[in-house]
Amino acid sequence: MTHLYTVTLGVLIAAGLLTLVRLVRGPRALDRIMALDVVVTMVIAGTAVGMTMRDDSTALPVLVVLALLAFIGSVTAAHLVEKRKGMR
Amino acid sequence: MTVLRDVVTAVLFLTGACFCLLGAVGLLRFRDTVSRLHAASKAQTLGLLLILVGAAVHRPLGEAPVLLLVALFQLFNAPITSQIVGRTAYRTHAVDRRRLFVDELADRLARDGTPLHEQGGLTPDKEEGGNPDDTDR
Amino acid sequence: MSRGESFRRILHHLPLVVWLWLLWMLLWGSTSAVVLIGGLLLAGAGAMIFPLPTVLPGVVPRPLWIGALLFHLLADLVRSGVTVAWAAVRHGGRTRSAIMEVPLHVDNDVLITVVAEITTIAPGTVVIEIDRRRRRLYVHTLPVRDLRTIVRRKKETQDLERRVARSVGHRHGPPGRGPRPDPPSDPPPDPPPDPPFDPPSDPTGGTPPDHRGRRR
Repeated sequence: MTHLYTVTLGVLIAAGLLTLVRLVRGPRALDRIMALDVVVTMVIAGTAVGMTMRDDSTALPVLVVLALLAFIGSVTAAHLVEKRKGMR
Repeated sequence: MTVLRDVVTAVLFLTGACFCLLGAVGLLRFRDTVSRLHAASKAQTLGLLLILVGAAVHRPLGEAPVLLLVALFQLFNAPITSQIVGRTAYRTHAVDRRRLFVDELADRLARDGTPLHEQGGLTPDKEEGGNPDDTDR
Repeated sequence: MSRGESFRRILHHLPLVVWLWLLWMLLWGSTSAVVLIGGLLLAGAGAMIFPLPTVLPGVVPRPLWIGALLFHLLADLVRSGVTVAWAAVRHGGRTRSAIMEVPLHVDNDVLITVVAEITTIAPGTVVIEIDRRRRRLYVHTLPVRDLRTIVRRKKETQDLERRVARSVGHRHGPPGRGPRPDPPSDPPPDPPPDPPFDPPSDPTGGTPPDHRGRRR
């Protein structure tokens, strides 16, 4: 099972790195917001895998908080982008 | 029993991680913001859900509801985020028009002669009829 | 306020209170007396301080249809993940897309929201604009090969709407409330046709709209 967790985490890290490329490359603010949202999703997934791997549930509230914060953050940021473009 | 549980978790974890990876590939390869939204909202949600279910299967029973709650949050919030991002993307010209097969929203706006409202939705100032080049009828 | 009315109001708030209460217990992860009573008080206070209007008049929830809807939702989620992953790997940057207009039957804020949400989860479609007044969704469709794909996706979205309307037994929903799924029979009701308005050589026809307010 340990190998399985390692492989899963490896795939997730690879996915996270690819997403980071999009986060850096951009080209628009919206792309970055989206990429950040995806990174948070992957952090949640990785935390869940880590919880299972170490057989430890301290991170459970972290998952809930991350899931809520990612949503609020993305929505707020997208609204800001729209407002900024609208005032231009 | 433990073996079965392990196998289920293994399958769910691996497929979930693969969907996350494919979503990231899509995020990288698609050309315009709205297309990337597809990868971000669907493949990611599916991947996370699979991983959360896999963890819920493996963890003690008391934690399963919280994990499913996180999955539920993601399932209901991803469409909301993607709709808001998509709307903003369309309004800030982040759609690659050369890749669009048809754009019935632009047709509609052109016939309305009304731009998008500042805050919510479209502001039609008259009732509109059907789309002449609508393929549905 | 009469007695029946207040009873109805309590009944109206009950699902919200119960949901908040359950959420509270779930997040605390315990069912001790303090959590139970505190959660109930907080949930009741929340429902009273932030009263929600009655948003779904004439609704009869139908558990069986809701179950079917959820089942479809999960199946759709799997299919859409596969679809978009395949498009990303196979076509990548060359994937063609389209923005299509989907007229809806339902005329209710909550139902339209639910339809829009599920449409975004459904394979190949992301809602990017909701025209509430005309009851239309504008949906970005991802792997589009030809016009037939668009027609098919439109039909899928309207089927989905039918399922949503049926699951709450909504009166604006299309007919066919029997136990058997009705075939897609009725075309979407068109609003009255507008006087012919041809934008002659409209320079903005091909460009996206902006906020600067083109005058008509």
